[in-house]
Amino acid sequence: MFKYILRRALQAIPLLFFISFALFGLMQASGDPLATFGGRQPLQPDDRARLARQMGLDQPFLVQYLIWLTGDDWLRWDTDGDRLADHAIIVPLADLEGQPLPPGRRYGIIRGDFGASVQMRKPAIEVIGDKIGPTLLLMGTAQVVIVIVSLVIGILSAVRQYTWVDSLLTSFSFVMYSFPIFLIALLLMYLFAIKFREWGLPYFPISGMFDPRGGVTPQEIAWHMVLPVTSISLISIAGYSRYIRSTMLEVINSDYIRTARAKGLSERRTLMVHAFKNASLPLVTLIGLDIPFLLGGAVVTEQLFGWPGLGSQFINSINASDFPVLMTLLMMISVAVVIFQILTDITYTFLDPRIRY
Amino acid sequence: MKPVRILALLLVIALSLLTSIQAQSGKEVTIAWPQEPGVLNPMYSPNTYTGYTISLFLASAWSYNSNLEPVPVLVTEIPSLDNGGISEDNTTFTLKLKEGLTWSDGDPLDSADFLFTYEMYTNSLNAPVSRAPYELMTSVEAPDALTVVVTFPEAYAPWLSMFGQILPEHVLRPVFDADGTLDTAEFNQAPTVSSGPYIFQEWNVGNFMRFTANPNYALGQPLIETMFVRFFGDDESYVNSLIANEIQLATFFDYSYVPRVEEAGIEVQVLPAGYNEGWYFNVGPDGHPALQDVNVRKAASLAFDRFAITEDLLNGATYPGSSFWEGTPFADPDLEAVPFDPAEANRLLDEAGWVDSNSDGTRDKDGVELVLRYVTNQRSIRLEIQPIVQQQLGDVGIGVELFSYPSDQFFAGYADGGPIATGQYDIAQWSTAPGGFPDPNTRAFMCAEIPSDEEPSGSNWTFFCDEELSALFEEQAATTDFNQRVEIFQEIDRRMYESYVWVSVWFDADTWSTREPLTNANVNGVSPFWDVQNWDVITE
Amino acid sequence: MTANTSESPRPVTLTHPSAQHPPRSQMNRVARRFLRHRLAVTGSVMLIAIMLYVTLGALIFTEAQANYNDTSRRLEAPSTQHPFGTDTIGRDILARTIYGGQISLLIGVFAVSVSVTVGVMVGVVSGYYGGWIDGLLMRFTEAMLCIPSLLLLLVISKFLGGRIPDVNFLGREFSGSVIVIIAIIGLTSWMYLARIVRASVLSLKQAEFIVAAEALGAPTRRVILAHILPNILAPVIVSATLGVAGAILSEAYISFLGLGVKPPTATWGNMLDGASRFIAEAPWLWLCPGVLILITVMSINFVGDGLRDALDPRSDNKV
Repeated sequence: MFKYILRRALQAIPLLFFISFALFGLMQASGDPLATFGGRQPLQPDDRARLARQMGLDQPFLVQYLIWLTGDDWLRWDTDGDRLADHAIIVPLADLEGQPLPPGRRYGIIRGDFGASVQMRKPAIEVIGDKIGPTLLLMGTAQVVIVIVSLVIGILSAVRQYTWVDSLLTSFSFVMYSFPIFLIALLLMYLFAIKFREWGLPYFPISGMFDPRGGVTPQEIAWHMVLPVTSISLISIAGYSRYIRSTMLEVINSDYIRTARAKGLSERRTLMVHAFKNASLPLVTLIGLDIPFLLGGAVVTEQLFGWPGLGSQFINSINASDFPVLMTLLMMISVAVVIFQILTDITYTFLDPRIRY
Repeated sequence: MKPVRILALLLVIALSLLTSIQAQSGKEVTIAWPQEPGVLNPMYSPNTYTGYTISLFLASAWSYNSNLEPVPVLVTEIPSLDNGGISEDNTTFTLKLKEGLTWSDGDPLDSADFLFTYEMYTNSLNAPVSRAPYELMTSVEAPDALTVVVTFPEAYAPWLSMFGQILPEHVLRPVFDADGTLDTAEFNQAPTVSSGPYIFQEWNVGNFMRFTANPNYALGQPLIETMFVRFFGDDESYVNSLIANEIQLATFFDYSYVPRVEEAGIEVQVLPAGYNEGWYFNVGPDGHPALQDVNVRKAASLAFDRFAITEDLLNGATYPGSSFWEGTPFADPDLEAVPFDPAEANRLLDEAGWVDSNSDGTRDKDGVELVLRYVTNQRSIRLEIQPIVQQQLGDVGIGVELFSYPSDQFFAGYADGGPIATGQYDIAQWSTAPGGFPDPNTRAFMCAEIPSDEEPSGSNWTFFCDEELSALFEEQAATTDFNQRVEIFQEIDRRMYESYVWVSVWFDADTWSTREPLTNANVNGVSPFWDVQNWDVITE
Repeated sequence: MTANTSESPRPVTLTHPSAQHPPRSQMNRVARRFLRHRLAVTGSVMLIAIMLYVTLGALIFTEAQANYNDTSRRLEAPSTQHPFGTDTIGRDILARTIYGGQISLLIGVFAVSVSVTVGVMVGVVSGYYGGWIDGLLMRFTEAMLCIPSLLLLLVISKFLGGRIPDVNFLGREFSGSVIVIIAIIGLTSWMYLARIVRASVLSLKQAEFIVAAEALGAPTRRVILAHILPNILAPVIVSATLGVAGAILSEAYISFLGLGVKPPTATWGNMLDGASRFIAEAPWLWLCPGVLILITVMSINFVGDGLRDALDPRSDNKV
């Protein structure tokens, strides 16, 4: 078991290097973070040249990747204590119009330094940290709603296979599964926020997490979460519930459930204890493999509802080519995916003693 | 059901990450920006809203009133030739500070803070967004605690852009000494002292900021005790929040929302911030050869119905301008916006020899088709205008190919292969302003600014060169006398107008709305909080 | 066992890697099973209706009409003259949904062709040759799967955006971004298919007729083309059908976020760009293309589900 985990972890390292290299290359080539730096109009040319040099953006791609990975404190340093670099390797020390550079201050991602946001000038990890709470709250709640509702729907339609309940739930799943998320979100907004307000009914807010004047209370946040959570849940319930239905069906039709029934166990007990326990195995896999992707947030939903999470941050950062933030977010998700894959495998062995590694 | 328990745990953690705030007493108001500020240090301010927010808690030497005239804040009077603040040769400026100024923590605010600000902007250990105009100064001296003397090597007309916001030396000097830079200072995210009308209290990232009135503000303690600043990612909810009275001040929402806001009984002001949406014609070597002919540029401008754009798409909230300095004294008042006149456009093109000789619907000459690359960034209004331009220019026989880039590619520099900077366009459209507005100075149309491999940082992306025009730009930049400068600019304006290298599409003033219970909110498009101490809230 | 767990099926797709080898002689039975599947038949009818809408509609409106703009009639509510209303620059939305639908369906089909080609190639090569080739290809596949697909789409579309000039295809001018969108959707959606194909090939390799063919000295190319490919057709067809729906949705998402197909070419996706600014004032802006996307995606999903059941021999004992 331990050897297995170790092997998987070691296998993941070259994978993560490859991902980081490919993504870094894509982002370097897809926009200039200094282009929108001046806000509504381009930076003054000499400021632009200076900033590119100070931020290391004028370096060749491979050097930038090296710095991102390992830092630049060992590439450019100060020996005489005047706080300005006087020795350098790989990166040039040469100055721009007599303006010297300070020594390298970055440690690189392998030493836990994810770089600083170009736009916000604070560590990229803090930018992510500021937004991860709202995203986990939104996506976590949605995930709980999805799992509970789809369990109910999935089991119900498996037990009542080929009745009208089943076909109703199946059709509903298919329609919802085909919905573009923005159409659901816009319809919900139109009806429950705009029309309800016109009709003088209590209506839901459509933007943000709370109204700061009301104070940040759990009720306020919950109220703001209703529409986005509903939007996300509605389209995802379909996939889960169909999956639960088919695994439940397989289990119900299996020999040992027939044996259990034959032994005279109550139908309820058969279902809940035996069938469900066995059907939960694939469900665990499914949830386990989905969790890391929650970190990406729901880009469209967060954008539409003005939710201050990682999805909106991703769009903001991609529009500004703020690649330290983008890289941090994407690498964080990749690492989470790898970790959760291993965790899922481990959980598997606990749930199904037939599996050995 | 283990995963559910894990999720429940995550929820608790997420909830606890959200700090809670207590109910406030006293008058309060919520203002909102369409974008969240990035950082709260003027050196690193990446956008307009960050600048506005910083001006809530950091005072500047002077500010601008509703007529965009400078008014003193930390200085006793605006330097001029008459009061001796400006030397005869226009190179030395003397600032007299008010007596008894203090930071919100009681520490005195004096000339040392001005010197410190200058030092931080120019020190190579820091990476500010812009060093202008500090990098041009030859010296900044403080003969005493209340006097600052700034010297430029030559006459410098846009001097009002200096000392926008003053940094607190007593707080930041120790940080700079310890870290060797201000780039990573905690102050940048959570400023601890204030010299402006308000004191920073908290920043709930992604949601809001809270400020409270500063009793030590140079212009007096503001009447409104608490100021919330919120941020909206999209105009729709931004405007809805204004109408629902969740916020009392909104700005920079799309012109298309003006009718909806006005229907709700809220006044919309359109205030100049120096910006003008315009067409840039590429007259460089990579532009279409036809654009070398001023009459072809004129014909393209005549064929585009900009009046329909401002009337229908922008709801009549603005109009096509005639000048790069529209709405300022520097624009020649006799110039009129280029009219919509497709007949005249056809005549000019025929005259220039561009006729549809092969009957493919597009004019041509010497085997070259008159097909222009029309390039914008991806702001939604510009994407809407793209097909309109294609259709209208098509009506006079000019083919149009549409291109649009994300802003960070569109504005990329010459060295990064930016499509505009390297001349990969024929007509480009964006909105721009003189860098130090309300000062009119710009270098964007000078021969010396044409980018090339030797001069990759050039800012003249039209590749237009008129030696006499360049000389006029040099001359105005060294003229501090207002009336003389106006005269030079009107001459510049006339030359620019006749050259059809830059043509206004619309006067891109900003929308501003304030609503009750907020009253007396006298804003302008440059320094909205110049009079914030007199803003009030109607209590029922 | 380990290989199996790391390859757990993707949760939200409705595909099941179990649909394999339909005996050719059973084609009729497959067709019969499909026609007995009520949802599949409904889906087919709806899909045909959509196809007729975008093709016959083009006989009524010209593309010039679909692109004709007149700002003085912007945001007009649905009327007899403009049954679906007009958009922000006064174009007729009905005509645009017809031509936009053509492009959206085109993007769906071509993007899936790209992803099926890549997916089958990677899956077959990986499964058939095994060894280091398999290791390398599967690590690459895994790497692609580590990034949420929408985020990956956005990063790549940013990378390619704006660079390709208009293209002329079948006598019509398209924004070059159509090709970009097809490429990026295709190149970011082949991974699950590759895994399914690889698993099928792995199990096929043990099958007696393959072993026999190899023993008789049939060239590798022939073994793959004549023996392996026909036998993995079922999962590929199902996955490709559902893939079209996914590609249409992907196009809509990236367009909705402003990185999709550029004007003047209409797609159902880019008709939605900016429509959220008019949730209340002009619901027809987002409702018309949105509902068309919904109907199309839904009917394709129905058809895909029907195909899977029809091609899956096990479904016999369920019906």
